[in-house]
Amino acid sequence: MMQLFLSIEQNPLSVWVRESPSLLAFPFILFLHTLGLAMLAGVNIGLAVWMLARRSVPSFDVVSVYRVMWLGFGINLLSGLVLLAAYPAKALTNWVFFVKLVLVALGLWALQQTKDEIVVVAGTAVRELSARGRRLAMLSLLFWAGTILTGRLLAYTHHILLASDF
Amino acid sequence: MERIALVDAAIDWIVSTRLSWFVTNYRWVWPLAESVHFCGLALLSGTVGLFDLRVLGVAKGIAPSTLHSTLRWGVCGFGASVITGIMFISGAPDQYFYNEAFRLKAVFLVLMGANAALFYWREFAGIRTLGPYDDAPRSTKIVAAASLVFLVAIMLCGRMITFFRPPF
Repeated sequence: MMQLFLSIEQNPLSVWVRESPSLLAFPFILFLHTLGLAMLAGVNIGLAVWMLARRSVPSFDVVSVYRVMWLGFGINLLSGLVLLAAYPAKALTNWVFFVKLVLVALGLWALQQTKDEIVVVAGTAVRELSARGRRLAMLSLLFWAGTILTGRLLAYTHHILLASDF
Repeated sequence: MERIALVDAAIDWIVSTRLSWFVTNYRWVWPLAESVHFCGLALLSGTVGLFDLRVLGVAKGIAPSTLHSTLRWGVCGFGASVITGIMFISGAPDQYFYNEAFRLKAVFLVLMGANAALFYWREFAGIRTLGPYDDAPRSTKIVAAASLVFLVAIMLCGRMITFFRPPF
């Protein structure tokens, strides 16, 4: 396994991200990861807070809001893959990283399930918010808070930084 | 020279406080505070961001005034970020006071506050009466766009703090 990590971390992109003094390398990719988090988790949190404060939801352009969140996810996925390629051993030998991935998957699942709860049937102006919808909103808050927590803990819980150091 | 002496005196005082001792003497405080800082930021960017997006024309069907009511949670998130931010500064003041990215972040925080004040002074009354499918006036859209730009700039500068740390 370490051989695989070694070959990943020695490819030119990984080396550039890790070792380039340019602010467009590691610092900017890390910023993109934060921006993606704000667009995906942030907007989902805003939506969940809004839902929890209401008894019913109006008919609104759900697609446009989900487009912002999925764009955030795309930015997160790409920047996350590049960060992973830069330090594969650091992440893939740390169980906290896998907990984070599970939480992200659960967050995305809750996000999609929520969509079914807030889409108003054509011809009606509002839709009563179901108990399931409220539960999903609460779960979204928990999953994204867990994702942020585990994401931050990654910097403090890894045992190996680079496969080449092992 | 006098300004540097003043900053150094402030740093000396900060590191002598109990808060600084608390932040630097427990291993779990910093990572936990970072997590709360980011959760606060997500809450702030989510509620303010969603409101700004609605003003700009996203999520039509929701009256902006109903989204405005979620901003109190954004203020809570901002409060959590400010408290944890003070904890970071108390733990390593020299790493912040001599950091260009942190100074720029502070500037954007002030600009965002001024922008929010401008919104409540000039635009809020108009927004309160907007219906679910109404377009916001252009001036309100400019304020909302500026709010999003400042939010992103704050995130960018916050992320850059690590890479602009002074070498001591």
